[in-house]
Amino acid sequence: MNLCLKTISALAVALVLICPVKSQALKFHSDMNSIKIEAQPGQVVTRAYHLTLDKGEKKTQFKAHLEDWWRSEDGKQSFYRPAGSIKHSCASWITLNPAEAAIGPGETLTVRISTVVPADIKSGGYWCALTVDEVADPLKTAPQGVGVVFTASVSVGIFISITPVDRNAKILQLSGNGTDTELKVVNEGNCPLGIEGRIEFYAPSDTTKPIATVKLARTTVLPEPINTIIITAPLPETAQLPNGKYLVRAVLDIGLTHYIGAQKTMDIVHGTSGIQPEAGKGR
Amino acid sequence: MVHITKSFASCIFAVGICLSLSLSNCSAQTSTDITSHANELNGTSFTAHVYEQCDITVPSSVAFNVGDISDPTPAVTAVSLTVTNIVTSSASRVVRVSVKAASSQFTPSVSGASTWSAGAVTWDAGTSWSGATGQSGTLSQSSYKPVAIGQADAAAFSTSTLHFTLAANTNVKRSGNYVLALTWKVECMDGGEGGGG
Repeated sequence: MNLCLKTISALAVALVLICPVKSQALKFHSDMNSIKIEAQPGQVVTRAYHLTLDKGEKKTQFKAHLEDWWRSEDGKQSFYRPAGSIKHSCASWITLNPAEAAIGPGETLTVRISTVVPADIKSGGYWCALTVDEVADPLKTAPQGVGVVFTASVSVGIFISITPVDRNAKILQLSGNGTDTELKVVNEGNCPLGIEGRIEFYAPSDTTKPIATVKLARTTVLPEPINTIIITAPLPETAQLPNGKYLVRAVLDIGLTHYIGAQKTMDIVHGTSGIQPEAGKGR
Repeated sequence: MVHITKSFASCIFAVGICLSLSLSNCSAQTSTDITSHANELNGTSFTAHVYEQCDITVPSSVAFNVGDISDPTPAVTAVSLTVTNIVTSSASRVVRVSVKAASSQFTPSVSGASTWSAGAVTWDAGTSWSGATGQSGTLSQSSYKPVAIGQADAAAFSTSTLHFTLAANTNVKRSGNYVLALTWKVECMDGGEGGGG
């Protein structure tokens, strides 16, 4: 009996040591809608954002604010700066109510987003980010020793179009390596552009039907402060697209009545540094 | 560059040719309408408006037991992070997670003592992300650094093995607690005009 108890105790201690200590987490449900508004100068528009705290959570304070937002050229990194940092910021047109509130378990925070478009604003696309931050609980115990205390933050975009907007983009470069194809696109208009599209691979002898097609992930290219974006897509597998010479065609939908495109003849060699454009062709 | 008609894109493409025709459907849409005709006889219908949304669970803290300041110290536990029940307006709209330090350095145990900068904290790309592509990185106070980008059309993504590491720092001379605040940013910002909305 005694041996049995000792064994159970030893197992319990071992389990405690083996199993990682799970730090408390914050769980909540959030709207992720980009708020898109098409408006005229002088118009007043109201929208709402919702965040619901999980039923298992303690009362938590959240703070809502507006900031300017843009993304790095490779699309991987987002930059958030104080409202008014960019010319196309609409943050100063918007008021949030409430700006800060505490919600209990299972409760929903509703932030009203009231927009008053200036009467003398020029047409074009304007945007900012609505950010809702968890306010750190001063009573929360920091980890012993050296530790990092986490808080959560959610951002959704607010995009306001003052019509008519100028949608205009150009493909600057179509290139690649042995694993990916790359497109560089510049926004030459006055509004953020959602970009969708595909890259098609044709045998030089038959440019009517692609041998392989790669769909591009949707992305956004802004008119400022970084007005270019590099869109990367993996090459199709070797079985689908053997090494060889192909006509590579990029087809992009930027919301115009037509697609924009670029094409180039390339030597594709999988797994090396080389999709090689054929000299004197393409752009 | 070439302009291609949306209707006849595949048959008119040629280097240097510019064409344009009408677009059949390219309206912007931020959410999905689901209409259920529950009663065809009396014409009653039910409409559910589904917003873009997700459930987010972020950890609250992570600790480093620094036994030797001259060696990098892995966090005591790996970090779990989950984003579930993701609803977006199109398959290619994705949720992203990134991190930023709230201050430039750890608050030292003794005021004025040498401490770690925020940039001493790094994380690995993680091979165990499901539904997302992990990114390795170094913490910064000046900008959010990407941790994971959800895959197209992923209904959820998560990891339970995100490893943070604290760099060696032989300038540290005081024992005790050192604390840094970090913010997890969850965003779904794409939303410009054009494309599929």
